[in-house]
Amino acid sequence: MTISDLGVPAPSPAPTPFPAHVRKDHRGSWIPTWGMVTTRFMELRKRRGLMIALIAVNIGIPVVFLAVRLISHAVDPKSYGPAGGYSIFTTLVAGVMYIFGFIVAAVVGSTAGSVDLTEGMFRHLVITGRSRLALYMARIPAGLAIVISMVAIGYTIVCAVCVFAAPTQLNYDGVTVPQGLSRPALDNWAAAHADEVICDFGYNGGPGLNGPPPSVPCGNGQTSGPPPGAIIKTPKGTITVPASESPAQIRAFAVAVANQDYADYRTNFTVPSTSLMIDVGLWIALEATIGFVVGLGLASLMGQRTVPVILLIVLELILTPVFSRHIITHLINFERAIVGVAMVHIEPGGLPTPFGGGGPNGGGGGPGGLNLIPESTLVASLVIVGWIVFWTAIGAWRMMTRDA
Amino acid sequence: MSTALLSDAVDGRAADGQWAVETHGLTKRFGENIAVNDVELLVPRGCAFGYLGPNGAGKTTLIRVLLGLTHADAGAMFLLGHAVPSHRDAALARVGAIVDEPRFHGHLTGRQNLRILAAAREPAAKGRIDPALERVGILHRADDKVSKYSMGMRQRLGVAACLLGDPQLLILDEPMNGLDPGGMLDMRDMIKSLVSEGRTVVLSSHLLDEVERTCDAVAIVDHGKVIRQGAISQLLAGSSFEVQVECADPDRARSLLEGTAFGAHVQVGPDGLAISLPENTERDAIAEINRLLVEGGISVYRLQHIQASLEQWFLSVTSRLGDPE
Repeated sequence: MTISDLGVPAPSPAPTPFPAHVRKDHRGSWIPTWGMVTTRFMELRKRRGLMIALIAVNIGIPVVFLAVRLISHAVDPKSYGPAGGYSIFTTLVAGVMYIFGFIVAAVVGSTAGSVDLTEGMFRHLVITGRSRLALYMARIPAGLAIVISMVAIGYTIVCAVCVFAAPTQLNYDGVTVPQGLSRPALDNWAAAHADEVICDFGYNGGPGLNGPPPSVPCGNGQTSGPPPGAIIKTPKGTITVPASESPAQIRAFAVAVANQDYADYRTNFTVPSTSLMIDVGLWIALEATIGFVVGLGLASLMGQRTVPVILLIVLELILTPVFSRHIITHLINFERAIVGVAMVHIEPGGLPTPFGGGGPNGGGGGPGGLNLIPESTLVASLVIVGWIVFWTAIGAWRMMTRDA
Repeated sequence: MSTALLSDAVDGRAADGQWAVETHGLTKRFGENIAVNDVELLVPRGCAFGYLGPNGAGKTTLIRVLLGLTHADAGAMFLLGHAVPSHRDAALARVGAIVDEPRFHGHLTGRQNLRILAAAREPAAKGRIDPALERVGILHRADDKVSKYSMGMRQRLGVAACLLGDPQLLILDEPMNGLDPGGMLDMRDMIKSLVSEGRTVVLSSHLLDEVERTCDAVAIVDHGKVIRQGAISQLLAGSSFEVQVECADPDRARSLLEGTAFGAHVQVGPDGLAISLPENTERDAIAEINRLLVEGGISVYRLQHIQASLEQWFLSVTSRLGDPE
């Protein structure tokens, strides 16, 4: 007997109505259920090795760094500076948390995007009848909940130490200056300590500072500037130093010096402002989000974890630093399309760039140290959004079309 | 045999005329290789159905196509009356399946793995986790990591995963793999109990003995094509008829029997005569053989009808496949 012996198969029966529970659980919808997100979160959280790496990099490195500085300062405060402060904040944020946060997020994303396939759970999930797109989308909030929370914990620790363990008084160019002053506050302080500022602070011409400094006593019988009645040459011609200057003129000169030195003072001797900490926190979170989404999409596309992780490390540690600082005329639009380059362009002001030198807004290295390829904020924003959308779409497409 | 007969052959449980699995012209290619070749398959509801074939015959590929794990190149298919893949969410809502070796997240416990799968099903599935674990007999190990499970325990966990959706149809690919004899007995009992609850179980296997003990109907597949299907009893009824006879003077008995109109093929062996009779020979032939021998003056000590096994039938069917057409 063969199938032909069975005769013509009966016509297909009319499908029975969709079971009520299927209608209720929206199994065909692309939106994942809360349970799918929480169980996916659990699956990632239970990966001990991954979690240890995540904690070690995002929390452990900053904590160890700050702990060593706290202990060193407590033991020998004259040799070791305070653990906190603005410069420590910027160093940790741009040098550690930004770069390593991206890499760790990429590892989590690559794990989330590949383990169902490599560990054989993908087909179990597909057999449930749940939309493959929903299965993919569940990974995004679950993975981001882990990555962002880890970044937030590490960043909060850094902020707390940098604020609460910042120096309270500082010796700046031989002058004891209160820490954490805003520009107007430093101006006021300079007006009240005009002699010290004029004698000890460094300055280099500029508005209000083109003439010779007023003659004020600097201790040990010395005075600042040329003696009264002296004739000196300036870029605007020869002038005679007045016999004496009014207190208002002396204060104005001191304020001008303080203004010129404020950027340097702020870099070294202030705590990061609340607005800066918020901006930087969001910037780091965005970088981690990009790392996760790209890792997720790439791993879903390739069906494995190792190669995507290697590719993203190469992107972050090699390609981005190179392309962000070396203008290649024929490839400039390609360079602009690299997400790391775009991220540097939206970096909050006052930070050094992650890959050395000054930031685009005049951070630690100052504008003079800057050689970034030109890119508008709008284009940078579009590049970032484009990367997130593109890799999410690629990963979802592969998830929906892949053989299970 | 008509489709109605095939359906009715299985205890009459598919009397509503609907098939649990129905395919028409289903084809799946991998390059030049046709893994599923124009398959016409009808699985009645409420039975245990064996899907048999040698290694590489396309059993697993057909299951993967049915479940939407890979796409078909041609043909139509229906699960529980719902067209697949257009209504796969409704169809798979009441389907549970194990495909290949069941694998899970090794760093999670059995219960946690089932929580992940239950979350992808309807809300009620979460409440079925413990009953499913208990039914497959691994509730006591539910909180152990799956990496510590034996192959047999993972197989049981796979069945538990199937049960989360309260399925009307279970598709089990080689479910006996990795099970010890006790485990195989448990699995057989479980399949029978599932069928007794009105569920349909499709069982892919090359363990013919297990299939014969477990299933009501089978389909034979080779080179991607279904070549036979029907109720086991009816398939075997159409196979050759063999009688074993222990008697005095076997050589003379052979001469005597070969000269009759039975068309018998007689061999003399250490256990006596092995008499092969053509298909569809009536049971009365046994009595006729006895009468001939006795009337010929040959003493008969034992006379036994040998029931053809599924294995013999399978081998006889598949052995023809290699013959030139």
